[in-house]
Amino acid sequence: MRVVIAEDNVLLSSGLELLLAAKGFEVVATVGDGPSFLAAVTAHRPDVTIVDVRLPPSFKDEGIRAALDARRLRPGLPVLVLSQYVEREYAKELLTDGRGGIGYLLKDRVSRVAEFTGALRRVAAGGTAMDPEVIAQLLVGPGRDPLSGLTPRELQVLALMAEGHDNTALADRLGITLNAVHKHIGAIFAKLGLSPSDSGHRRVQAVLTYLNHR
Amino acid sequence: MPKPWRGVAYLLDGLLTALATIVLLPVLALPAAAHAWAERHRRRAGLLLGVTVPDRPTPPAGRPWARWGRDLLWAVAHVATALPLGLAALTCLGNILTATVSLTLWWALPPAATPRLLGDIPVEGWTVALAPVQIVVLAAVAWLGGPPLARAHARLCLAVLSPSAAGRLTQRVEELTRTRAEALDAHAAELRRIERDLHDGVQAQLVAVALRLGVAGESLTGAPEGATRLVREAHEGVEQAMAGLRAVIRTAYPPILADRGLAGALTALAAGCGVPARVHIGELGAVPVAVETVAYFVVAEALTNAARHSRATSAEVRVERVGAMLSVRVTDDGIGGADEARGTGISGIRRRVLALDGTVQVTSPPGGPTTIAVEVPCGS
Repeated sequence: MRVVIAEDNVLLSSGLELLLAAKGFEVVATVGDGPSFLAAVTAHRPDVTIVDVRLPPSFKDEGIRAALDARRLRPGLPVLVLSQYVEREYAKELLTDGRGGIGYLLKDRVSRVAEFTGALRRVAAGGTAMDPEVIAQLLVGPGRDPLSGLTPRELQVLALMAEGHDNTALADRLGITLNAVHKHIGAIFAKLGLSPSDSGHRRVQAVLTYLNHR
Repeated sequence: MPKPWRGVAYLLDGLLTALATIVLLPVLALPAAAHAWAERHRRRAGLLLGVTVPDRPTPPAGRPWARWGRDLLWAVAHVATALPLGLAALTCLGNILTATVSLTLWWALPPAATPRLLGDIPVEGWTVALAPVQIVVLAAVAWLGGPPLARAHARLCLAVLSPSAAGRLTQRVEELTRTRAEALDAHAAELRRIERDLHDGVQAQLVAVALRLGVAGESLTGAPEGATRLVREAHEGVEQAMAGLRAVIRTAYPPILADRGLAGALTALAAGCGVPARVHIGELGAVPVAVETVAYFVVAEALTNAARHSRATSAEVRVERVGAMLSVRVTDDGIGGADEARGTGISGIRRRVLALDGTVQVTSPPGGPTTIAVEVPCGS
């Protein structure tokens, strides 16, 4: 799997290269800022990209902007955004195009190698990977429309979906059968008014609804 | 110039400036002119007395005449004292000069131009002998009497023009306000630097270490149980350190504030709050980072209270600039009855706001609504 990395901190980019090489990924380019990231994406057509939020010149949220720009350039380009801290606002911005292939994780998660590469593959396959801390930020306060119609179990399922877990992982984590998971997800889609004919990724739409209303 | 002659020079300068003061009287109707003229003499008096003369406080806004009366009083006192003293000094010096000229040239002058000594004594015949006597006496008078008189005048000048106790306090308050604003800016800049340094340095290093420990842990299959456990514990330790560091940074200087500014950070806060919150942000102008940080924490705390205790169904955040103040107002439609003594939320808000010389007003009658209104001065 071909990867482009946008990370200005050499310590981290070299660490990522090391890890990805060990896990059979091919890092085709490592760049240090937004414009060269766009150039590298155009030149190398990677299967998945990894972008740090803080990039030169201002070290603010250039990474988010670069990710959004790259996805305008190549719709659906899988991007995994890494940051020292996570903000639900950024998660929402990343997900708004409703296309999937988005991940947003704390840099801490990188060291859980298996989980990190799992998340990276999920994003590359068009899924999502949201940091548990983003989800935790959403779990404060009472629920409201349209999520108020969901049962606690369905909310639990939706939260895990938002983190990016697939149905098998969901079944494992909740200790229920795959069939039960399917039923919960069907109920969630129905309650959120997401019909199979809707354009866009239904799972992503559900996650987006969750992020917007929690 | 030997010291005693500086006294005489001071008195002669006083004579000239006293005359100038009389001529310039119409100009002194302008407070700024009167101030500048008085300041010149304060500096001069300070120089003679060898004391430093601190700047006088600027009059409070809206009362430009406060200092003017004192400047005019000084002008009158100056004319009344410097004029006779200066004339006396001039008399001494003038007569020393006359006596010297008489002594050297009396024999060559025609009778019609006979010079006269002090006391209208014509210099002819034996009176020539009086000339050196007068020179010595007048010089002694100037030498001995000039300096104390000059110093007395200088002290009078400083006494008339020295700021009142209230004026000194006003000046002190202005100084403290300014230095506090500077200290706050320095403190905020320091916070920002520390946040950036931790982000680029320690945090990045911890991630790099964790990453390598993670890779090492993966490749340790078949290694002795002890070694595997140590690596796993080290890995977990580093992860805890990262989480701890992140929490510390978040409470000291929220990264979202650094990334998105106050408006963006508050919008994010409201979006993440448990109750639906509307955010109105007016034209803010330049807001010191320290004030932004406080505004952020006030809104965060108020919204948390609203979500946790008030059973509110909606909240409103309003941030605007009112003159030199940043006004932050958070209202919720909950049950009210917020008790400052119970939770630490409001007292935390109060502590942070008071540190910036701001004000906090909490209105929370039983039954609601609750409004927390904060005003913080935006520095000098």
